[in-house]
Amino acid sequence: MRKIYILILILGLGILLFINFSDLFEDSNLANNKYQLSQHYIENGVKDTGAINLVTAILFDYRGFDTLGEATVIFIVVSAISLLATKERVFVSDTNFSQIVYQNISFIIPFLYILAFYLIAYGHLSPGGGFAGGVVIATTFILLKITFGIRYVKEEEALGKKSLLESLGAISFVLTGLLGILLGYNFLANGQTSLYLGIAGQLVSAGIIPILNLATGIKVGSGLAIIFHRLVREE
Amino acid sequence: MESIYLVVIILFCLGLYTTLTNTNLIKIIIGINIMDSSLVLLLVVLGYKPEGTAPIIDQQYSIIVDPIPQALALTAIVIGASITALMLLLTIKLHRNYNTLDISEIRRLKG
Repeated sequence: MRKIYILILILGLGILLFINFSDLFEDSNLANNKYQLSQHYIENGVKDTGAINLVTAILFDYRGFDTLGEATVIFIVVSAISLLATKERVFVSDTNFSQIVYQNISFIIPFLYILAFYLIAYGHLSPGGGFAGGVVIATTFILLKITFGIRYVKEEEALGKKSLLESLGAISFVLTGLLGILLGYNFLANGQTSLYLGIAGQLVSAGIIPILNLATGIKVGSGLAIIFHRLVREE
Repeated sequence: MESIYLVVIILFCLGLYTTLTNTNLIKIIIGINIMDSSLVLLLVVLGYKPEGTAPIIDQQYSIIVDPIPQALALTAIVIGASITALMLLLTIKLHRNYNTLDISEIRRLKG
């Protein structure tokens, strides 16, 4: 009986949403995608920031402060998980895989690191950036842990290093932002300062964006690795 | 275009239905994740232009996809992943304390 009520409620919600979206179709701005802000970013983005990847330009320049908050969310989640998870030592994966798995994982991990650092370093030129690269870094830790088991990684040491790296990423993000204030402009100022922006499209360009990408990548990678570590330890 | 909005609505309602009707904690988390994914899909569709290229300006393109919803979708993905991790940790703790994942069997959650 309860399910039927919920079904009726949700059907009503769906119809309301559909009416709402049909009103959106009437909006000619949406149909033609002629929003002034988007047009401004598309026309002036490369000149303002020096990054040819406009998504990165928005994330780390126009909305850099927003991204700092986003990184803080991960930091808070890592802190909460580290606080809540108990310190008990439980070996989760004691399964032995075949030799093929061990060999393949050992073979693939250096290439995963290359992919991750490519994504981070070329974040202002091609799809990718700090968040995607950080997730790939975390994937290497997770793969190692799943295949070789927890015993192969010296746990406490690795955790300390990872949390150090995470704090380092956060601090370097904030310090890079403070550079803008030191130069007499806003927090996280990039294009308007007298910093050398470089030629758009080259690897060394876009001012502080690559540095912020690197900081975010390190932070996200170590943060997600810590989250996984805590979750598998808790059984 | 309009059919994609329909897919978004169906996915969102499906996730909400899963969240409200199931009593298994893992299934509730899956439902919340489905809702989250439908919102990301909505953001991507909002910025879409027919025959537009990706917002990477290495040449002079005439039609470029709107980059703002993509940047916001990244935010949504990060927050969603963080919330999922936190929910999973709490689920693990509940399972350890009560030995069940069924919220109707966990007495103190009945209210």
